Amino acid sequence: MKGKGRFWAVLFTISSLVLWTGIGLCGAPGFDDKEIRIAAWGPQTGPAAPWGSVARAPAVLAAMINEQGGIHGRKLKHFVRDDQYNPAQTKVVVKELVEKEGIFSFVCGTGSAGGLAVKDYLAQNKVIWVGPATSVKEYVFPVQPYLFSVYPLYEDEGSILTKYVIEKLGIKEIGVVYQNDPYGKNGLDGVRQRLDHLKMKAVAEIPVEATEKDLSSHVLKLKSAGAKAVLMWVHPTTGVVLVKTAATIGYKPQWVASNTLSDFELMNKISGGLWEGIITGAFMLPPDSDDPRVVKYREAAKKYAPEERFGVFFMAGIMFTEPLVEALKRVGKNLSTEAVLKALNSMKNFQGVGPKLTWSPDQHQGSDSIQIWKCGPGGKTILLQDWTVNELAHWKKK
Amino acid sequence: MYGQLIVEGLSIGACYAVFGIAVVIIYKTSEVINFAQGEMAMISTFVAYHILNVYGWPFWYAFIGALFFAVLLGVFIEVCFLRPAKDPTVLGLIVITLGAEMLLMGLASWKWGAEQKDFALPFSFHKTHELFKGVVINDWSIAVFVMAAVLMIFLYIFFRYTKLGVAMRATQQNEHAARIMGIKVERVFSFAWGFSSLIGALAGMFFAARSTLDPAYMMEPFLRAFAAAVLGGLMSIPGVVIGGGILGILENFVGFHWPAWKPIVAFLVIVAVLCIRPSGLFARHYEKKV
Repeated sequence: MKGKGRFWAVLFTISSLVLWTGIGLCGAPGFDDKEIRIAAWGPQTGPAAPWGSVARAPAVLAAMINEQGGIHGRKLKHFVRDDQYNPAQTKVVVKELVEKEGIFSFVCGTGSAGGLAVKDYLAQNKVIWVGPATSVKEYVFPVQPYLFSVYPLYEDEGSILTKYVIEKLGIKEIGVVYQNDPYGKNGLDGVRQRLDHLKMKAVAEIPVEATEKDLSSHVLKLKSAGAKAVLMWVHPTTGVVLVKTAATIGYKPQWVASNTLSDFELMNKISGGLWEGIITGAFMLPPDSDDPRVVKYREAAKKYAPEERFGVFFMAGIMFTEPLVEALKRVGKNLSTEAVLKALNSMKNFQGVGPKLTWSPDQHQGSDSIQIWKCGPGGKTILLQDWTVNELAHWKKK
Repeated sequence: MYGQLIVEGLSIGACYAVFGIAVVIIYKTSEVINFAQGEMAMISTFVAYHILNVYGWPFWYAFIGALFFAVLLGVFIEVCFLRPAKDPTVLGLIVITLGAEMLLMGLASWKWGAEQKDFALPFSFHKTHELFKGVVINDWSIAVFVMAAVLMIFLYIFFRYTKLGVAMRATQQNEHAARIMGIKVERVFSFAWGFSSLIGALAGMFFAARSTLDPAYMMEPFLRAFAAAVLGGLMSIPGVVIGGGILGILENFVGFHWPAWKPIVAFLVIVAVLCIRPSGLFARHYEKKV
């Protein structure tokens, strides 16, 4: 009997502790006098894992800041969780982070489906989310009070790239290959926006699934339609299959791709050198740039994450986190969610290594411009056109 | 343009066929669909990649090394994963192959990372030959055709005229009777898995050269190869080759005229064949007696 009583007493104590700990962290503000907890989810395993470095990169920025004493005395603590690019898993890891760790703000967040699955949950729990690592109109239209987008819209990118092809390259026969999802369709909308404005039409618009490995029929269709420039919003592997297949039948259009295919070092390597000469959009300075800000991050990555390749995706993770850090600096010692929201909502023309960002309480789509790059020999970046705004953008006219 | 579509359809179809043969060899002996087939090929291709890029050995050393590894891997999976299963049903064995698939994919991600890699064969994509006016064929396609033809002839002779081939067929038709006749059934299973893994690795290297090498790159070709095998008949080697050709051409024609419908062609083929002729176009259907 004595033993049984002791057992129940121990069980009660442990349960109380667990419950107390859980309740204690649930709904915590995500910071204390010593640290501010930030987090990112992304695919660390599975087919989309190449994009996983975006979520790991903020740790480098946090380490840099912490080495200098933190932000107003508080260190940044970065959490990374693997959602395997699966929205159901995104919900699980985000809930765990919010309710067990107590997160002040999320940064990055790769995958549109996963982001859409947790967007409302984060808003209900008053957790800020800065710089989703994808461009989704539903994130910011209508305005979500806690969500601040950095990534330029694929629609704007499509419109700017089409303008470049027509006006600078003088090519009128344009074909489009787009992934059959919101990413690809938004890019296609941008191409159509520009072509409609110029009273032109694409010679071919071809949908493709991300998993397809044989694209001969697509390439032959582009060739038979007479496309002299082909714009693509596709998965990196799809892009490689397209250019390889075109090479086999002697079809040589000017390939133009979305910023998601702008990791030239990687793309040139996996395409066996066929990426050279391809033009892409870009949402930040090149990772091999001599710009002092990029050099600073590159050196920090070597120091704090030597196992990582400092490519576009990794640097993007830092770029998406920069505005949150800036807002935290502007707020000062009296940190609160409301104060950071105020700082983010009043941010005007802030520029880190990405495009200029402007947010207001009525507009949370921060950027409207892209750069245009060309893949040079050995995967080197050639800057063709500096930050360019889409003057046709519908959303800015609202 | 249609001539080129046919050439491209036949060449990718031949690659599906070779991979489909790997699926059929295991099915012919155990009636198990091996869902880890793609990942076994993927790991073997990564081994070739590793030998080429880490050790810097010439291609043919890497090629032979990868094939040798593929055989060992196939035997290992059969001996360590399938054989210990207690009173296994076919469904139970299929579930084990699904587990092996996930394990191999995780292993590849851990060892080589998830980022895509370039894997090139000596049969270049870029080197083309004009067959007719406006119709070209590249070295990669020629190599695939030759590989499919040689394999088909070899396997036809093997299953018809060799003791081991006949033992494999006998094991599939009646495992108990095969045991009574003195066939060492366990050895037959191990051989089938090793041999199937080797053929899968061959196809895997060709698929990697056509796209990129990453832990998930064989998921889609496996589905296509499975569709080709179902179409031709899961028990028929020539059927799989013809099934692959039909599927390749069909996909390319649909993809040219209605690109949005191309991804579902393989699934429609599987459903249609299972509804109309479950044994496939070229396989004879065996009724098992109780």
